[in-house]
Amino acid sequence: MFVILYYDVGEKRCAKMLKTCRKYLQWVQNSVFEGEISIANLEKLTYEISEIIKPQEGDSVIIYKFRTKRYTERVVFGIDKKDDLSFI
Amino acid sequence: MKETIYIFSNGRLRRKDNSLIFETEDGQKKFIPVENIKEIFLFGEVDINTKALNFLSQKEIVVHYFNYYGYHTGSFYPREHYNSGYMILKQAEHYLNETERVFIAKRFIEGAAKNSLKILKYYNRRGKDLNNQINEIERLVLELRNYNSVDKAMAIEGQIKQTYYQGFDIIINSDEFKFEERSKKPPKNRINALISFSNSLIYNYCLSEIYKTHLDPRIGYLHTTNFRKFTLNLDIAEIFKPVIGDRTILSLLNKGIIKPNDFEDKLEGVYLKETGRKKFLQAMEERLKQTIKHSKLNRQVSYRRLIRLELYKLEKHFIGEEEYEPFVMDW
Repeated sequence: MFVILYYDVGEKRCAKMLKTCRKYLQWVQNSVFEGEISIANLEKLTYEISEIIKPQEGDSVIIYKFRTKRYTERVVFGIDKKDDLSFI
Repeated sequence: MKETIYIFSNGRLRRKDNSLIFETEDGQKKFIPVENIKEIFLFGEVDINTKALNFLSQKEIVVHYFNYYGYHTGSFYPREHYNSGYMILKQAEHYLNETERVFIAKRFIEGAAKNSLKILKYYNRRGKDLNNQINEIERLVLELRNYNSVDKAMAIEGQIKQTYYQGFDIIINSDEFKFEERSKKPPKNRINALISFSNSLIYNYCLSEIYKTHLDPRIGYLHTTNFRKFTLNLDIAEIFKPVIGDRTILSLLNKGIIKPNDFEDKLEGVYLKETGRKKFLQAMEERLKQTIKHSKLNRQVSYRRLIRLELYKLEKHFIGEEEYEPFVMDW
């Protein structure tokens, strides 16, 4: 499954969110991640996120799930900050 | 599906924030999502420290090292996590019992031969005259049934391979890419360089898949188990060399994607340059991710997955649940 994740969390929890998401997904822009992920790993990731965020302080995380990328098109203006990671 | 990462740059692979980071020589940092990696192929000069290795082991990531010429140097095969004494005993039992061993070895040869035939027949339908090779291989497969020793079977396998590769010159039909004969260490011409590179990759894909099962890669059947290296991956690879490797080679050549200047002469042999290796790996990745309809499972399965399914079939064979039948392409 392919997901796009973005978050808006309190300053104190930003670094933690960044580190957590980096384990599972690829960084695209500040507080935006995307990438292939298995259902099990998404479950793990959402659990880890739920441990970090504090909704009472206005934190919010949004995940878009795609079963396939077939009906999507990725358009980039300016610089694409996402690296090609298969071939470094 | 977990990803494979190929590192061509020089630099350092480190553990950072419970994930991986690759720092290139010029200071660029690339974060690698550790949870989504199955294996890493290292073609560049990469430093790794114990901390990183411990972490890779914990995350069950296999690392394959290649030297400057693209030869496989070795693999970091993390501590086994799917331990099963029972499976190892069963595997050894099938090795020690000559009849059982020959049965499995012959199945591997048969699978490889049938898949090779599929390729020859495919090009035969497209106007390349390969009837001689096809008939010869079909005859050899039948002959294989008469033998009951691994050495004899190996000899037949050699003949099948030779006949099969003869077909390559007819299929490719290019002066720049002549096959002539199989040469290894070093490969003497471009086609041989491609075949060697492709085979070494498939050995490693198979090894990574074995790591995800209960099987022990050290006990092979067709390739004699000895004191040195992994052999079961070489056995399994036989079936997938035509299916995954040779088809990639032939399509890259026929489409003219790999060109003579992707190769260079070195050490009395011919090797793929980095540009060539990258092109090949890209095509290989695409091939591995491509899915086909699996007739028995009745769902889409990637080529990469087929390798694992093959191992599961072997496991079933060892515990006496279902007799092993090698995978043969459907079309």
